[in-house]
Amino acid sequence: MSARPTVVVTGAGVLSPLGDSPEALHAALAEGRSGLKPIELFPVDGLGDGLKAGEIRPFEPRDYLGERNLRPIDRTSRLLLSAAQRALDESGWTPELRAGREIGLVLGTTFCSVKTISEFDRRNLQLGPSYASPFDFANSVINAAAGQAAIWHGLRGLNSTISAGEASGLLAISYAAQQIRSGRASALLAGGAEEICYESFLGHQRAGRLGASAPVPFDARRDGFALAEGAGLLVLEEGGEARARGAQVLAEVLGHGSAFDPDGTPEGAARALARAVRIALEDAGTGPEEIDALSAAANGSVTGDRAEAAAIAEVFGGRAGELPVTAVKSMLGEALGASGGFQAVALLGTLNTGILPGILGLERTEEGFPLTGASAATRQVAVRRALLTALGTDGHACAVVLGAAAGGS
Amino acid sequence: MDIRIAVTGLGWVTPIGAGREEVWEGLLAGRSGFAPVESFDTRLFNSHLGAEVRGFHPEPFTRRQDPATLGRASLLAIAAARMALEDAGIEPGEDPSWKPERAGVAMGTTSGEPLEVEKLDDLLLAGESEKVGAEFISNYPCHQIATHVAREFGFAGVNVMIPAACAAGNYALGHALDTLRSGRADLMLAGGADAFSRITYTGFSRLGAIAPERCQPFDRNRKGMIPGEGAAVLVLEPLERARARGARIYAELAGYGLSCDAHHMTAAHPEGDGAARAMERALADAGARPEEVSYISAHGTGTPTNDRLEVLAVRRVFGEALPRIPMSSIKSMIGHTMGAASAIEAAVCALAVAGDLVPPTMNLEEPEEADLDFVPNTPRELPVRIAMNNAYAFGGNNASVIFRKVEN
Repeated sequence: MSARPTVVVTGAGVLSPLGDSPEALHAALAEGRSGLKPIELFPVDGLGDGLKAGEIRPFEPRDYLGERNLRPIDRTSRLLLSAAQRALDESGWTPELRAGREIGLVLGTTFCSVKTISEFDRRNLQLGPSYASPFDFANSVINAAAGQAAIWHGLRGLNSTISAGEASGLLAISYAAQQIRSGRASALLAGGAEEICYESFLGHQRAGRLGASAPVPFDARRDGFALAEGAGLLVLEEGGEARARGAQVLAEVLGHGSAFDPDGTPEGAARALARAVRIALEDAGTGPEEIDALSAAANGSVTGDRAEAAAIAEVFGGRAGELPVTAVKSMLGEALGASGGFQAVALLGTLNTGILPGILGLERTEEGFPLTGASAATRQVAVRRALLTALGTDGHACAVVLGAAAGGS
Repeated sequence: MDIRIAVTGLGWVTPIGAGREEVWEGLLAGRSGFAPVESFDTRLFNSHLGAEVRGFHPEPFTRRQDPATLGRASLLAIAAARMALEDAGIEPGEDPSWKPERAGVAMGTTSGEPLEVEKLDDLLLAGESEKVGAEFISNYPCHQIATHVAREFGFAGVNVMIPAACAAGNYALGHALDTLRSGRADLMLAGGADAFSRITYTGFSRLGAIAPERCQPFDRNRKGMIPGEGAAVLVLEPLERARARGARIYAELAGYGLSCDAHHMTAAHPEGDGAARAMERALADAGARPEEVSYISAHGTGTPTNDRLEVLAVRRVFGEALPRIPMSSIKSMIGHTMGAASAIEAAVCALAVAGDLVPPTMNLEEPEEADLDFVPNTPRELPVRIAMNNAYAFGGNNASVIFRKVEN
């Protein structure tokens, strides 16, 4: 019987509010810089004062994509295409390699582009159907960004879009790992993409999900999250094939798990995430005692962060307090479908350097808060295996175990 | 050892009715679901026909959620899911042998809840953005369809939306298959849902894709597709478990295959490349040879290019065997129900395998390919051992799914 296929990370690409390379992102997080800026992507009249979001600014797609015609491609797709270009370059998936071998894409996203959809509809209503562009309609489907990336980069392998709210990105990585393990694919870009737009911002504000000031995950003062945008992708390959082509191996996806809270309660969310973590640990053939760090989903949500801490405490028991914890959304904001990709790309830097970013702004936690290893301070941690978690507002929970490359740091 | 997966229940809401028996009888009788669009004004369009679901009442199906708080696609999906569970003889919450955390949901869609963004647009154009409330975010994002289905039945396992446009139902079935095969669930609801919307209608109208009078897949004079809406959900569980509980087994969900054209957002690959790769992968996954396939449920939208390129692709895969394999498109009757389409067609495949009976392609007067068997205008009895369900989507997303007869 042949060994189970392994899933290794051979590259990454990222367009984030804190830089456009995995190294720049990790360095900025380690320095405790915030990627949140005053909103310029749309007029904020009537929405409030001093609003900030994790905008990618400046963003010049031509820096990544050259002179080909970008006109029919919307912002979400441009962010994705740019990150994909970086990931393909870094992992050695040249156009020649892509012509001979298939590489696919699994993309997490919440909206793809609700801006494109809404504007298409409003143009139709205001000016009549003949002013609604067929190009915009092609971009209105939620798999549009994944399809555009496939066309642009020649990604002929399987192409799946995964939507599960804030858990979309980690779920996309899980889906991709499952595809590689089952032999359905040998190389996949996996992660997420999301844009900030008026429609999304307005919706999240009216739903009461945004905080009044900078988000402070796990802090007692937290009152909501800040929206962010970008794209973050890993290049995942079957281990044997990656080594056969001489690829660098940066990390390994050791396990994944997901679950859902059908009750819509904080307790239910905690139970769902605890289950997802247990499944991921079992899948990785490991246990809490072998996890050296946690990249948490915490984004400043009052109930979500508490549920996440409770879930980790339940699974890790007495070890929960020793677990070094980071929460990158304290600096990046909540990028919805892109968040899982951001967490994963940032964690590669931790696996490589041993530097775990602190949680920006964390000063005071609630009484009895179990994750006492959550700290504002960036620190040096020897990380062989790390846990990534996602917990969506609507009850989607996902966990992924990433391991350092064999023989690595 | 590989776990085999059974289809033990199905439910659907379509433009020609709801529930397994009503829809199946309608499809075999060649019933048409086309009528002038009622849900919005089409005066400014060149086309006026749609395939809307009329007279749908969600109340009997939503028991844990208030239907007034949910979007239409969610409601259609919940109705299909409840019918599917009842069809499978499963009462979640009542029967302790079904653990909620081992029961999951995988759904597909093209547009999610387009009516929710339309409400937002109406408010924005009226200058009434202050009236936008929390319901936009709790309803509009496409994953809420899977959220609402799972909440309705208390399913706490895997929960995912795969919005692969018009192939999405097949993508959801494929993911459910992998989830069950890898032992991550005991029960999966998998399917697709979409709501009729002015956005979708406008888009296809602007692409010049909507037929003026009827949908005629594979006919020389075909003039286009007709947008529709609906939902279908299949109940999937390990075959051994289904046998042990004495469930009725429609078919084995035997395999699937995915690919991407990487060619064009709205047009298929000119040589049928991606579609052929998806079919070949599905056959390999199911361990089946092309000549063993007894029935092909075509994507068959009725647009001039889709049908031509689809035939090119199946010819590549099936070669000389193709003329002996009946291939029909139910879109001739219920239109293109978008993200629900391939799920509805998957249910057709399961029933075809179970009943050795395949639905026709209606409105077929002058077949473009004289040597092929499109099952014109009347249903056909024939032994159906293996059925293949093909679906193609915007973004070049292709997916084929295979169903196989389960011998007792």
